Amino acid sequence: MPAVNHSVRAAFGALLALALAAHAALAAPSGPPVRIGSTLALTGPLAATGLVHKIVGEIYVEQLNRKDGLLGRPVEWVLKDDQSRPDLARTLYEQLITVDKVDLMMGPYATANILSAMGVAQRYNKVLIHHTFGTPSLAKYDMQFPAGGLAGDPDNTIPKVVFDALAASAKPPKSVAVVTSKFPSVHFISLGAREAAKKRGLREVAFLEWDFGNRDFGPIAARLKDAKPDFVWVGGLGLEGNLLIDAMRKIDYMPPLHFHLFPAPGPLLKAPGGENALAATTFEEHPPFTDNPVAVEFIRLYHERGAKAGLPDTSVENQSAISYSSWQTLEAAVTGAKSIDDKAIAQWLKRNPVDAIVGRLRWDGPFNYIYGSDLYKVKQNQNGKWVVIWPKEFAASGARLITP
Amino acid sequence: MRGRALAGFAAAGLALSAVPFFGLPAFYESFLYLVLHWIVLAVSWNILSGYSGYFSFGHGAFFGAGMYTTATLATKAGVPFLWTLPAAGLVAAVFGVALGAVVFRLPRLRGELFALLTLAVTFVLATIVLNTSIDGGPGLVLSAVPLPAIGPSPSSTFYLLGLALALATLWIAREIQRSKLGTGLFAIHDDEDVAEVLGVPTYRYKLAAFGVSCGLAGIAGGIQAMFVSYVTVGETFSIAVPLYVVLMSVLGGSRHWFGPAVGAAVVTALLYAFTAGDYAVAGRAAVGLILILVILFLPEGIFGQAVRALERRRVSAAPAIDAADPPAPSAATPGKAEGKTLLEARGLSKAFRGVQALAEVDLEVRRGEILGLVGPNGSGKSTLINLVSGHFRPDSGRILFEGRDLAALQAHRIARTGLARTYQIPRPFAHLSVLENVALPAMFGRDALPRGEAGHEARRWLAFTGLAAKAMSLPGELNLHQRKFLELARALASRPGLLLLDEVFSGLTHAEIDDAIRLIRAIRAQGATIVFVEHVIRAVMELTDRIVVLSYGRVIAEGDPRAVMREPDVVAAYLGKPHA
Amino acid sequence: MALPSLTLLGQSLLSGIFIGALYGLLGLGLSLSWGMLRQINLAHFALAFLGAYLTYQLAGAGMDPLATLAVIVPCFFALGALMHWLLARFSVSAFNSLLVTFGLTAIIEALIQWIWTADFRRMESAYGEVKFRVGGLYVALPELLTLAMALALSLAAWAWLRHTYTGKAMRAIAEDAPIAAAFGVDVRGLSLLLSGLCAAFAGVAGLCLALSYTLAPGQIYAWLGVVFAAVMLGGLGNPLGPLVAGIVIGVSEALTMAFTAPAWAPLVSFSLLIVVLLARPGRI
Repeated sequence: MPAVNHSVRAAFGALLALALAAHAALAAPSGPPVRIGSTLALTGPLAATGLVHKIVGEIYVEQLNRKDGLLGRPVEWVLKDDQSRPDLARTLYEQLITVDKVDLMMGPYATANILSAMGVAQRYNKVLIHHTFGTPSLAKYDMQFPAGGLAGDPDNTIPKVVFDALAASAKPPKSVAVVTSKFPSVHFISLGAREAAKKRGLREVAFLEWDFGNRDFGPIAARLKDAKPDFVWVGGLGLEGNLLIDAMRKIDYMPPLHFHLFPAPGPLLKAPGGENALAATTFEEHPPFTDNPVAVEFIRLYHERGAKAGLPDTSVENQSAISYSSWQTLEAAVTGAKSIDDKAIAQWLKRNPVDAIVGRLRWDGPFNYIYGSDLYKVKQNQNGKWVVIWPKEFAASGARLITP
Repeated sequence: MRGRALAGFAAAGLALSAVPFFGLPAFYESFLYLVLHWIVLAVSWNILSGYSGYFSFGHGAFFGAGMYTTATLATKAGVPFLWTLPAAGLVAAVFGVALGAVVFRLPRLRGELFALLTLAVTFVLATIVLNTSIDGGPGLVLSAVPLPAIGPSPSSTFYLLGLALALATLWIAREIQRSKLGTGLFAIHDDEDVAEVLGVPTYRYKLAAFGVSCGLAGIAGGIQAMFVSYVTVGETFSIAVPLYVVLMSVLGGSRHWFGPAVGAAVVTALLYAFTAGDYAVAGRAAVGLILILVILFLPEGIFGQAVRALERRRVSAAPAIDAADPPAPSAATPGKAEGKTLLEARGLSKAFRGVQALAEVDLEVRRGEILGLVGPNGSGKSTLINLVSGHFRPDSGRILFEGRDLAALQAHRIARTGLARTYQIPRPFAHLSVLENVALPAMFGRDALPRGEAGHEARRWLAFTGLAAKAMSLPGELNLHQRKFLELARALASRPGLLLLDEVFSGLTHAEIDDAIRLIRAIRAQGATIVFVEHVIRAVMELTDRIVVLSYGRVIAEGDPRAVMREPDVVAAYLGKPHA
Repeated sequence: MALPSLTLLGQSLLSGIFIGALYGLLGLGLSLSWGMLRQINLAHFALAFLGAYLTYQLAGAGMDPLATLAVIVPCFFALGALMHWLLARFSVSAFNSLLVTFGLTAIIEALIQWIWTADFRRMESAYGEVKFRVGGLYVALPELLTLAMALALSLAAWAWLRHTYTGKAMRAIAEDAPIAAAFGVDVRGLSLLLSGLCAAFAGVAGLCLALSYTLAPGQIYAWLGVVFAAVMLGGLGNPLGPLVAGIVIGVSEALTMAFTAPAWAPLVSFSLLIVVLLARPGRI
């Protein structure tokens, strides 16, 4: 840049500073930034979901800075790529705390990586807010706060809401097949589903487990076809549910009803055969969830950013919503505690619920988990859209469980 | 030499173990722990796979065995963490040795089949762990297991544990490379059959190397289980461990104990260099590009290339070896009992896929003589040599050498009884220097000389065969004539009682043959007994005391060379029926 | 539990054959370049996924998925030849080629993630919906196409190597390149040709991946272990080996899944493989 421009820029800068100072009285944050550190799986096998959390985090930090930041200070998000590996996540969180000296922590994506981060948080007495921890019984740290809406006993609550939904349908299933990946977080919830089905008197016609990473779902599909269940519980992670649906379609079979525990929602929505598939969620783009103006604004921004980032599916659903809710939790706690001190934040969170876009989050149970109830609802893929169909008060207007 | 190295290791250990007390942020300790962790895995992998060329794709299985041993003992049996580490090493080592005991017996399971087998073992082990009570699916959590306070903080404890194990691993790898075991392993890498025939107990050596390699990986797994504190099948038995150790070893250089350590440090550092959230994807591409560029321009690995450059400088600086060294000492106990039977074959038969290569051959070699073994192509001469040296086993018959039956012995034991051979087409160890090629049989022959002495012995034989100036060259740099002499030097260095020469003269020029004849006379003058298979009749006539003629696997004549070569049967066998 | 039905047996058998065909198709180029050119091409998997993404992209632009081969095959042929030129230019050894191609994998993976993001992509095509009924069994068109391509390419490679002059020359190069050169074989040209073909095979395998699977960049590594096993079991450089070995692995896994707990499937197929290796240390 030529030297002449310098003075021009300086003058402009001074003007801008003046304008900002004037504005600061109203909103603009000032002072040293509050640094929030986290890692996400930006590369590696979990990168598809890692990307969602990155976009949400960027949106939220921008929103914060457009208001008055945190406690009037601007917010800086220090994000690192843990490459989907827990050992890397652990070391990077140590880097964030001991080298980058971040003030606050936000959790990474997926159970194993969160557990790694939790160990670090515990050693440095930091608060860890996280969203996607699948095995609550492993969270033995007093200052970890799950903001994903999951109960302390998801193996109890999720099967309950699913079977309640089924029982209330026009044609409740009489027989069930439970098929599940042996991936840790998915597996134990599926075992819970087995128990629940038994208690409710459903006949179990098949129970099959596969090795996570299995590629050939043909034989499992063929066994389901032979077993003819009224309802299939699919404990599949990510694409596994899609692979199973593909395999079933290939042999011209589709069970009347099928529920997917933690699917990749976009592909399941568009998959031929995914029609009427059921899944668990905390948020979908319809009322009553969109009665909240914060949620509406978030949906607008997410569509915009998602399209810019090249996402094939830009609608807000479970992952992006719990990610946003975690940031809401962090903001509420810091604002409520009027401090970025971890102890103060933790104390505030234990005493106060947070109304996030996924619903009311609270942490007054053992190890900050609530037992027996969660924010999960049942959704169904109806005409190429996910709509919540149970519990009734959250169902999209007029939406009911479609049974063939 | 070893004392100095030990002092160096101790000094490095002391200096590095002071790191946690400098008050560095904990991140650096954890990062360094991960570097050390990968150093242990890569260096331990290299002990079997780099040294001997038995490329294992199953290092993850042994690493995982260690991880699950520690996790199981610490969480289910309440064993204190440190006590689980020896168990982790032991379980992995026993697992490796048991696998090796089966696999190494099957000589065809080399190369990619060994890689395949070890890969398959990984899948099988993972499936067993996943589906039994060892794990069963949910994974094992070690968060509640108390970590002993070795360092001032948990991160420094891991760092110090990693440091101790890495130093131990490097020391072991170094000692192995510099021991007979290492020499044997490097020989196995180049030509396992020749190594065995020269006296290397290949089976035991491979087993030992595998056991050590697996045991170290197991301990590394034990520490890592505590470090990640959540052990699952998916993370543990992933393809990442075998893949990364291979890449690290190749990148650093797999022919030196320290090479994989350099590779491990570079790869781990690269992984960390590009973790900034905004450039994660570009970082991945950058890591790929750097790896490619490094290996294209340093094909022997970062450290391998450095060592090679250093060696070259040292060689060019070393004084030339005096070609007029004093003549070599006796190759054999000088013939007190000249004329007595040294080797005796009785009723020796061998068939290959129905073709009778040798049929009921009786043969006698007398102490101190040169026996010529002649006959047309395919008459069984080389088969006979191969049977005597233990390359093959006879279908029937006995081979008595100084009264011991060789037919029942493994090839390396035969070498130790004092028998040596050369190959018609020279089979030097391609990646060992000429000197190392010749020193090896001195270490594994009858006298089993220690390393240092074997080197001296080798230099003497190199001077004797006129190869002294080539001592530090690789065999590939020699011409055929020199390679033939290298074969001779290698056979002589074991100080054999009986020397079996398989067509030493083939392919040589007239002048070179004269050279070779002089050399063999000199060997003979020192009292060695020689059996030699030959086509060059001039050499046979000039050198042999007695000849045995083979045709279609049978002895058709024996006795004084001149008389035998005139016998009509012999002439017919050589030339076919004489024309009228 | 009731006795498993014949349909279940037949359907599982078919499923195993089809997945085995995909292993074989993915392994073919890997095996040929490893066995004949001594290049262990880890990037083969990344190339296959690049091919799959290209198919997805072109099909999305309205091309028929099969017609995309007309674009992908020549491009990949050139890419493969270029890669070989680079490896030959620096005379990269077998193990070093492992490292170079790993680096290449990372670059291709980053490229894919940069262009198509890490999110899942699924090609929508008319082929996915077509299936045939034979007795009580069903055969889906994408799987049939995969099997047909695997068979056709493996057999073509086999016939080429066995019955044509260039094929025989190629085998001579694999045996001993300097001697082959001394006999007037164009080693450089033929090696470039073979590398190009191997990469083109990866492109075809990519098409089959796109027809049957949802794509994500992280999936590149998911196929590595089992395909390597099929390649080594089938015998390096043997054009029919990966297909046969792939089907053996696929069928043994499928049958295990059909009749016992599916999670035990890898145990059965890989124990079987170990027993085969130990009992008869050769290849299939």
